[in-house]
Amino acid sequence: MKFTLKDSIDGLNELFKEEKDIPTGSVILVTGVEGGLKSGLVFNMISNYLARNNKYALYATLEETEESHLRNMTSLGIKKPDRLHIFDYRDVRQEWGDEEPDFLKVTEDMINFFTKKYADFDIFALDSLNALYSISANINPRKDMYRFFTMLRAKKLTSFLIMEMHSPDRRWLINSGDCIERPEYFLADGIIDMLYKFFFSKF
Amino acid sequence: MNGLDQDLKYLQLIPKVVNNQKSKLDIPVEEIVKNHLEIIILSLLLEKSMCGYDLIKEIIARYQVMISQGTVYPLLYSLKGEGIIHVESMKGDMKTKRYFIAEDTRNNIEKKINGFIKTEEYILSSIKNW
Repeated sequence: MKFTLKDSIDGLNELFKEEKDIPTGSVILVTGVEGGLKSGLVFNMISNYLARNNKYALYATLEETEESHLRNMTSLGIKKPDRLHIFDYRDVRQEWGDEEPDFLKVTEDMINFFTKKYADFDIFALDSLNALYSISANINPRKDMYRFFTMLRAKKLTSFLIMEMHSPDRRWLINSGDCIERPEYFLADGIIDMLYKFFFSKF
Repeated sequence: MNGLDQDLKYLQLIPKVVNNQKSKLDIPVEEIVKNHLEIIILSLLLEKSMCGYDLIKEIIARYQVMISQGTVYPLLYSLKGEGIIHVESMKGDMKTKRYFIAEDTRNNIEKKINGFIKTEEYILSSIKNW
């Protein structure tokens, strides 16, 4: 029996009614507040999927170094498969300093590199869009993101783009027709929104 | 000049030849450099240890071609992962990682580059026999 992405996390398949899986080549936005386990969810999904499928994946992290990210994932009990590559941009950022490159292009070229190197490279994750925007001076979210999302689909990569929502009151954008401020919402093929709840106890 | 130096000099001659051509039928030097990037990077590291930044700048200086950081750094990590090249951390230097070829792999890499050059020479000589 084929092990799909929706089987990669317990309970995730219950969210799928008619679809057999996340369609290949989909761009999925993973949103939530800080500390909402967005990275953990995506890394866990990919790790579990790769453990049962002979595929390759790339996890690009602008938020943390590879070591720090792996430490966090290990603390969550997630083991990185060999076919999951992590790219952390640290060396590029440190060495290029004032000559800071176009990080969107760096990311695209990195994807091209992995596409050429591994025929079975089919999952990409970016952690996070917020960090990408913060270090890229001239990104036009609407124009550049449209091109970026289109490129990911053209390469048939199932992609998870993590985006932090700083304030829950901005969630209204998801359901409104006016998504000008956050074009990622209407560009994405799907959204995993990590809702969080406060739990109170009487201790 | 030993055989390897001659080979490296041969590699360095490529852009001078190709860049002088301007017609639409030209094969851009950029394409050649990109297609043989691993060999070029290994040949540069045979000369001296370098970080990703230095390698990209050296490729620009020699071939007038800008290779993206998104191509060079994953390639360096991949070569390191395969044990072909090694890395040393430089404390107190912004260019924190310098890649180098260890003595135990130098011989194999020289053979690989020589093999590449001989193959290219054979192909070049055969396509000139019109």
